[in-house]
Amino acid sequence: MAGDKAVVGVFTYLDDVLKAIAKVKSAQLDFRAYAPFGCPEITEAADEQRSPVRYFNITGALTGLVFGFALAILCSLDYPLRVSAKDVVSIPGFVVIGYECTILFGGLATLLAVLHFCRLPDILRKVGYDPRFTDDKFGIVVSCTGSQSDDVQSTLKSCGADEVQVKDGL
Amino acid sequence: MASTAKEKELTYKEVSDSVLKMLEVPTGGWYVQLLICVSLVLVGASCWTYQILTGMSASGKSHPISWGCYITNFVFWVGIAHSGTLISAVLLLFRARFRMSIYRLAEAMTVFAVMTAGLFPLIHLGRPWFFYWLMPYPNQRTLWPNFRSPLLWDVFAVSTYFTISAVFFFVGLVPDIAAARDRAKTFFRKMLYGITSLGWTGSNSQWKHYMAAYLLFAAFATPLVVSVHSVVSWDFAMSIVPGWHATIFPPYFVAGAIFSGVAMVITLAIPLRKVFKLERIITTEHFDAMSKLIMFTSGIVTYAYITEFYVAWFSNNSFERFQFWFRPFGDFWVAFWGMTFCNCIAPLSLWYKPLRTNIAFLFVLSIIINIGMWLERFNIIFTSLAREYIPSAWGGYNFSWIDVGITIGAFGWFGMWMTLFVKFFPAVAISEIKEILPYPLRDKHALHH
Repeated sequence: MAGDKAVVGVFTYLDDVLKAIAKVKSAQLDFRAYAPFGCPEITEAADEQRSPVRYFNITGALTGLVFGFALAILCSLDYPLRVSAKDVVSIPGFVVIGYECTILFGGLATLLAVLHFCRLPDILRKVGYDPRFTDDKFGIVVSCTGSQSDDVQSTLKSCGADEVQVKDGL
Repeated sequence: MASTAKEKELTYKEVSDSVLKMLEVPTGGWYVQLLICVSLVLVGASCWTYQILTGMSASGKSHPISWGCYITNFVFWVGIAHSGTLISAVLLLFRARFRMSIYRLAEAMTVFAVMTAGLFPLIHLGRPWFFYWLMPYPNQRTLWPNFRSPLLWDVFAVSTYFTISAVFFFVGLVPDIAAARDRAKTFFRKMLYGITSLGWTGSNSQWKHYMAAYLLFAAFATPLVVSVHSVVSWDFAMSIVPGWHATIFPPYFVAGAIFSGVAMVITLAIPLRKVFKLERIITTEHFDAMSKLIMFTSGIVTYAYITEFYVAWFSNNSFERFQFWFRPFGDFWVAFWGMTFCNCIAPLSLWYKPLRTNIAFLFVLSIIINIGMWLERFNIIFTSLAREYIPSAWGGYNFSWIDVGITIGAFGWFGMWMTLFVKFFPAVAISEIKEILPYPLRDKHALHH
């Protein structure tokens, strides 16, 4: 976030915070919005781009599929023992291994993606974060310069913020 | 989404208060429960140690029932583990609202039940320190495991199921642990939740990626629900043992697993709801919905039992016919009829609606179903192995106190993790319950939720 001040608005009502997001966005200010649950209205209003997590997921899944089949085929070729008249490279039997590895790698890649994009672990919480945001309040933290902070405060108050604070540094 | 009247009365704060109250200082009752569970674990661990020191003959396992009690327990616990992912992932994709209040408990149950199930192949190995021989690792003799064997498929299926279920469980927990972190008072709790919440704040960016990932986890976990017990069933169905070699096994096992898993969720949810006063969050409607799932899966299981008998008769195969005569009228007839009563007849009571919302009745029924599902696995394993093709190879089974001790220890092990979990982490999904509550709006017509 750019700017040397963080203006924090705490809201009780969802429609109020959505109004604040729209106004801050139209003023082209950098901001973060907070919610105590995954609220699609807030995430869509704040950022219209879709999450790239899905690309990690599909890449991981395809890697797993190739890995699973390769593991089973190469291990069987390295130790070519014919069992119960089945082929050494017995593709139907290896489908299970390929299938399980697809899911395993896809899931783990998704985990890595969510940690990466959510910037987790993040031991030092961001300036402006309020513990009420995981409880029952919505919030918005707007990054601005000192000269803009009065305007931002009045915008947030006009949108219905219960409380507005200005914090230094980001 | 429509909301029930009871949910409308709840506020976000009340949800947080009710769930996080569970994490307060443990009571004497909690310590007693933990002590009982740990004692059972010690019983099981002592029996296992004795078995390791004296050899596998300490258990009742012998020819021909070499899979015995341990594999019965393995299949039982994998089955219990099944419904957690069903409730959390499949019902999420189907947008079933009743999952919200119970899915965390079901997921915890899944993870701890797989941890329990995973012990049994190790116990069954006899020399558990060689468990890594199951893994395909480079070794001096260039020996690799047989990838055409269903037993190796099982290693991959169960370990994948455990990993993905644990990831899904942990990712789901993170926002709720953050809620607990923000209210933590003691140094220990602050540290515990501070580390395990990973610094979650609930910003719009985090929620965006989180929600996308959560849906993908659900989509990936759903095929696992089908695959894991299908693969377990192939441990049996891929062999040519009478009573096992049947194409009906995968759907039959999957339905049975969901049946037993939902019953276990009910067994766990009822005392939890009572002790922690969660009646407004886990309502009778949730039990009604779970009862309907039990009715449905009981119907499938009953149909599968009947089909097995029909196919044995229709095949005109004397070994199959004998096997299905032996089950109801042979040495293990008590297990067969017990299973039939518990899994087919007792759940019929749920067709009567007042019983689906009678909490005491449901608690008793859920225990009956779990006994029935253990007996089902007993039936499949013991009767088929006891009477294979050659009469000279027939035999019986003598339970030893080692079998019993380890079986009881497994219940203690599972109970111990559940007991610890409900006291240290939110056992009900705070953020997802808030998600289905009506939005707090200044202008009531501003949004449609």
